[in-house]
Amino acid sequence: MITLKTLHILNKPPEHSRYRLCLSAIGPDDGLLLTENGVLAVTQLLEINSEQYFALRPDLEARGLLSHISRDQTVSFDGMVDLTASAENVISW
Amino acid sequence: MSTLIIIDQPPYGSWEGREALDMAFSLAAFDQPVSLLFCGAGVNWLRKGQDAEKLQQKSVERNLAAAPIFGVEALLADGNACHQYGLAETDLPDYVAITDFGLELTSRFDHVAFAG
Repeated sequence: MITLKTLHILNKPPEHSRYRLCLSAIGPDDGLLLTENGVLAVTQLLEINSEQYFALRPDLEARGLLSHISRDQTVSFDGMVDLTASAENVISW
Repeated sequence: MSTLIIIDQPPYGSWEGREALDMAFSLAAFDQPVSLLFCGAGVNWLRKGQDAEKLQQKSVERNLAAAPIFGVEALLADGNACHQYGLAETDLPDYVAITDFGLELTSRFDHVAFAG
């Protein structure tokens, strides 16, 4: 299992001020998990290594966005728990 | 009196958009002229292929499909916002028209209200 320094959980859409703040706070050993409205980030150009970010599958499905991201980068609710447990700390934006 | 209801928030994250939709459907059901405009992140309401079953919600795509039946006059999408979220005209349901959100548009309505 991968070990992350900080897992950033982002549930805000691209127009929210915290969206940009979160993206600027991601360090090289960190991970980003997109949930709720945060999954809209997959429609944007993200300057983050694709191995570093993930998106919650049920939220992608709800918004018709499953085809916008590689299957390997999607996680289930159980996967979200594993990801959270693998990180030294978590920031919920 | 004509009303334009603007949804500028993305779907599923909050109930405010659905409440605005209910308001639009109520106006239409009572034969009050009403149109809907989607702008900003709100254009994500219009994306095809939504499946909200695992969120235990009905997809807003299905809700919106009822708009012409209720008598909502027009469903409009801001062209710039569609571009920003990677939505081409062919990605939108055929009852949606692309427009430019601005004073020229809002001045055509007696009453303009934002969701939330």
